[in-house]
Amino acid sequence: MDTLMTLLTIVVATAVVNNFVFTYFLGICSYLGVSKRVDMAVGMGLAVTFVMAIAGLLTWLLNNLFLSEHGLLGYDLTFVKYIVFIFVIAGAVQLVEMYIRKFHPPLYKAFGIFLPLITTNCAILGACLLVDLQTDRFSYVAQGMMGLAKAVVYNVAAGLGYTLAIVLMASIREEIEFADIPRPLQGAGITLLIAAILAMAFQGFAGMAG
Amino acid sequence: MVLIATTVFMFAMALIFAMALCVANRRLAVQIDPRQTEIEAALPGINCGGCGFPGCAGYAEALVQGKAEANKCGPGGPSVAGKIAGILGVAVGETWPRFPVVHCCAGADVRPPRPDRHRITTCAGAHVAGQSQTCAYGCLGLADCKVACQFGAIRMINGLPVIDYSLCTSCGACERACPRAIIRLIPFKADRMTVVACASRDPGRSMRELHICPVGCIGCGACVRAVPEVFQMTVNLAVIDYQKYDALADLSVAAGKCPVKVIRIVGPNNSIQRKPDPLPKPAATPAASSAEAASS
Repeated sequence: MDTLMTLLTIVVATAVVNNFVFTYFLGICSYLGVSKRVDMAVGMGLAVTFVMAIAGLLTWLLNNLFLSEHGLLGYDLTFVKYIVFIFVIAGAVQLVEMYIRKFHPPLYKAFGIFLPLITTNCAILGACLLVDLQTDRFSYVAQGMMGLAKAVVYNVAAGLGYTLAIVLMASIREEIEFADIPRPLQGAGITLLIAAILAMAFQGFAGMAG
Repeated sequence: MVLIATTVFMFAMALIFAMALCVANRRLAVQIDPRQTEIEAALPGINCGGCGFPGCAGYAEALVQGKAEANKCGPGGPSVAGKIAGILGVAVGETWPRFPVVHCCAGADVRPPRPDRHRITTCAGAHVAGQSQTCAYGCLGLADCKVACQFGAIRMINGLPVIDYSLCTSCGACERACPRAIIRLIPFKADRMTVVACASRDPGRSMRELHICPVGCIGCGACVRAVPEVFQMTVNLAVIDYQKYDALADLSVAAGKCPVKVIRIVGPNNSIQRKPDPLPKPAATPAASSAEAASS
């Protein structure tokens, strides 16, 4: 029960309270780029969630098995964390893309086109780098399988938070299409204003769940 | 020591990933029909969506799968249709360049002033709001078509869209933008085409007595009696059947009979850049042959 509560707290704290888009300002590029239509936004959000889960799993394993001082190599290699993580994420996404394209064409049609967009998305790298910092607050059992579970849950929750943000944005932008917007604010202007208001609204969650 | 470990570790990772991607590239390769690539190269590549598919790549895919006709590319016209047919090895249907025509001739001078209480700035909005002008079928003059045209081929003159056929690429964006279906693409079988420049289905009596429109089609049927092969009556409106339209037939008889002079000739004043493809010669229609027989 304690474990479940910990994981649930991580989900709420990551997806809503410390939303990646609204609090960390990560993944803003695709957030503004692919939020014109709700169905596209859902596809992009799910693709990000999927990639985040895979990237989180792989990078946690690498970090704990090889890069950490207590790992198999016995040296503290965390200073190459960034480059290794980018490398692993890009490579893994490539592999996944090929696999989906070959064996699941409908799935590829649904969000395959977003996968190359995501490979170098800062939100993915951010989730992989922030995972230790963020999840250690919620449990004193830091290592072993619990650590892995926390890392994956954290990454999936981060992806769900991104999905929430981009779908919210897309729904508003679909309505904005029909609004009478002053000429200087049309396009990027009103979009950034809406993003700012949404971010302020999400500040209302600050302080909840750690 | 740490540096050596790092180097070895990075090299090992690079090697593993390179090998994995290499194997995956071979094993998971997806066969793409080479014809699809060829067709994509033959298409104009402006991704206008006029064919009804998502971009030129989508159209090429649909063509290869046999889900689309070869003559759907408006901007490409007959030459691209011929190339596609050649690649696919199918016969191309009759293709004429299709250009938009405005089926309304009521300019701002004859249109009663519109009550503009709501400051509606788009045709789509004005059409939904209703009661924005007396004619429920005519041009609203708010230039949705001009906004939709990404090639700058539409100008608004006297409250009506005027199409510059030298800039038009037949993408059909204006046709889709017009909420009243006043702009429609018709096959240009000649440089200058005869059209009925009205879309009103109001009966002629009410058009006159209620002052709906002084220049619209009153549905008298004079043109249908003059050239029954081409003109047809729908609900209080004469329309031209462009399937049977013959560029050689003389339609000026019908135009002369029209009491409101709504049968007009449109065209680019011979400044049209693409000529109709000479390959698919239209068979002589009964109208043309009977006219010839009568004259001889």
